[in-house]
Amino acid sequence: MLAQQLVNGLMLGSVYALVAVAFTFTMGVLKFLNFSIPGIFMVAGMVTWAMLKGGISLLLAVPAALALGAVLSYAVERLTYPQMRGGDHFIPLVSSMAFLILFENLVLVAWGSDQQRLALPFQSVSARVGDIVIGVPQLIGLVIAVGVVWLLDLVLKRTRVGRGLRSIAEDAETATILGVSVGRVVPVVFLIGGVFTALAGVLFALNYQQASPFMGEEVALKGISAMVLGGMGNIWGAILGGLVIGVVETAAIHWFGARTVDIWVYGLLLAILFVRPTGLLTSSLGSGRA
Amino acid sequence: MAAPAGGGGDVSAARPILALEAVSKRFGGLSVIQELSFEVLPGERVALIGPNGAGKTTAFNLITGVYPVDAGRILLDGEDITRLPARKRIRAGLARTFQNIRLLQHLTVLENVMVAQYARHPSLAGMLQPVNLLRGNRWQREARAALGEAGLAQYAEEATGSLPYGIQKRIELVRALLARPRILLLDEPAAGLNPAETEALAAQLAAISGSGVTLLVVEHDMHFIGAFCRRVVVLNFGCKIAECDCDAVGDDPRVRAAYLGADTELAAAHA
Amino acid sequence: MSGYLEGVLVLLAINVVLAYAAFLPIVAGQLNLGVAGFMATGAYVSAYLTNAHGWLPVPAALAATVLTAALGLVVAFPILRTRGIYLALATFAFGQVVVAIILNLNVVGGASGYPVRAYIGFPVIAVAAVLVFVAIYCLFHTRFGISVTAVSDDELVADQMGLSVRWLQTAAFTIGSAVAGLAGALHAHHFSYIEAQYFNVLLSIYIVLYVLLGGTQTIYGPLLGAAVFTLLPEVLRGSAQWRYVIFAGLILALMTWRPQGVVTRSLLRRLFEWRRPPAEAAT
Repeated sequence: MLAQQLVNGLMLGSVYALVAVAFTFTMGVLKFLNFSIPGIFMVAGMVTWAMLKGGISLLLAVPAALALGAVLSYAVERLTYPQMRGGDHFIPLVSSMAFLILFENLVLVAWGSDQQRLALPFQSVSARVGDIVIGVPQLIGLVIAVGVVWLLDLVLKRTRVGRGLRSIAEDAETATILGVSVGRVVPVVFLIGGVFTALAGVLFALNYQQASPFMGEEVALKGISAMVLGGMGNIWGAILGGLVIGVVETAAIHWFGARTVDIWVYGLLLAILFVRPTGLLTSSLGSGRA
Repeated sequence: MAAPAGGGGDVSAARPILALEAVSKRFGGLSVIQELSFEVLPGERVALIGPNGAGKTTAFNLITGVYPVDAGRILLDGEDITRLPARKRIRAGLARTFQNIRLLQHLTVLENVMVAQYARHPSLAGMLQPVNLLRGNRWQREARAALGEAGLAQYAEEATGSLPYGIQKRIELVRALLARPRILLLDEPAAGLNPAETEALAAQLAAISGSGVTLLVVEHDMHFIGAFCRRVVVLNFGCKIAECDCDAVGDDPRVRAAYLGADTELAAAHA
Repeated sequence: MSGYLEGVLVLLAINVVLAYAAFLPIVAGQLNLGVAGFMATGAYVSAYLTNAHGWLPVPAALAATVLTAALGLVVAFPILRTRGIYLALATFAFGQVVVAIILNLNVVGGASGYPVRAYIGFPVIAVAAVLVFVAIYCLFHTRFGISVTAVSDDELVADQMGLSVRWLQTAAFTIGSAVAGLAGALHAHHFSYIEAQYFNVLLSIYIVLYVLLGGTQTIYGPLLGAAVFTLLPEVLRGSAQWRYVIFAGLILALMTWRPQGVVTRSLLRRLFEWRRPPAEAAT
């Protein structure tokens, strides 16, 4: 029983992990909390549902959703990053909140407020390991999540773009002086964040066969808790944080009921902010401080 | 708190208004202030000089409570303020200006200088005084008068950000004065001012000193100091290396070594 | 007065109260993303006092305001040890936790919502909104107003100039939460039904956004923000969602071109120029 809960928690946690990586990546490099991320998560999930419902093959729907995530994220970049350079630090945060509202309400206009059920074109397959049941699509999701973050880590460490990102994370002004083309590198942050978030939304929709215009608020927002737990600016911390939050949520549902989940997840966030705001791991992307 | 009466330069033989006793401060592994001791007598005009990096602003920051000292004591008119929180030091009569101008961006010039009035009445009642409710109330009048005395009355309603550097510096000085301090710490008040502004500043400081306020000034402009201060305390590498009358300071071999030594290093670096 | 008009004015009044609940902390440099949590506290406490203990609604609303202030004060101590984004996150987390706790309190209806029997009509709500405005107006024009702005601008300088930074921040936060609690109580007793899910982070976001839209430099900005937010759906007879889409668009436009909000000090000065006496002669 306990082990099954743990496994379920890890599977759920892989979704949180991806969202947390998107949050922490933007936070680490640009020092800004991108509130549009839950919106992109939701749009990706809803669009996946809509495309499947419209008869589009999964092989097309998923990349399309990811591409849409990238596009939306780029739109967010255009309207938040230039403002980051001059004015008050809260401006990009506020703009990103406006995007969340924009995305959520556009989806509400398009498809109404009901939660939708996804019709999967394949039979859900489960593997059994001893007493534990593991959904194969969920396992694939976990593997993809870890794999994608591992790739990101490689990019950060081995490529020019990655070095540019890390230097901006350390000190944006110095990076510019040292010749990093900030204007070309920063959109990469948003694009990567957008794709990761969209991937998380797609995985969630497919694994739990549901999508709703409120899934950004209900699911992706917990990625913030995961991000802070793992340490802002640390992408492996985000994975760790995401998995922990997933386990915490699953355990809470099992022992205290689904209605108590937010108390645990956000109570944990509150506790961390009071006790150890830097999180469990320190930032791998420069100082990570806001 | 009324400013003590007395003519300019009237140095009383009473206890010092400010005393540092073997004050030390480290940042990480670096010792920035080492066993610094000096005194300032009431009504004096003392300059704190030294090459860049000697620790002058750090000394100020220790005196005003920005950082805690690691060792030693700071006494304000005999009272040990070493552990006193920064906000209580200005209330006790110790005000300062900043090397890099720090005016508050979201307040007008008038409101900026009015901030310091609280230090004279630090209480809940003081906080709830309706200073902005009706024009012409007594706090505004007092602040406007202070600005007027400094020749800055026309800037009262302006936002601070776009004002010329020299004007901003003078506003900071008015702000510090509105706390009615007994001793005023000025961090490079003449830096960045043109000759005319520097002369006006000297006159203003003379008037302030004349009203009994003790002045401790960090400066690089030796001419300005020479015309103005009686006594000089020289710092280098966080230690006091000399203390003498202004006229004699240029001849002191240690002082020359401190400044010229630094210059030689600079010259070598650029060779 | 027609029922429709009264309904709009009630919403406007409550939104005005909420605007000032968010305004004061923002002036002190605190982005309170948990405003809705304090609103919920006030709503549920007041509703409970009238439902379960037979209190009259107005005393209950006042008691709820005081209790919410107490909660705000208690929470302020740990939360105000954080700064900037950490503070915003802590308030966000707090708001979520409060709502989640209420969701689990079956004594006040839990997830099914809580009907509220005692009623507060438009006149009382209008008076409350006016009183809140007057109170915050006066407070803003005392030394407190200048001082919290100073603290938000430059904490070091504020400290050096003799201000009690921590006290000021705590006061702004606590007063803000109290006012939010009052708004919640008024909401509960007018709409006669409250549910925890309503007081979510998105509500806090809307409130903060329309305050920023109005402008936080002057005391009048929040009024404009609340008015725009309340009246937008009336002006645009579309679906509710389109109103929010347009609102979001307005915010984005604002942050790009006029991030200080619509009502600024310079705008106000230009509007009232004719009333001011001639400037003092330069000395």
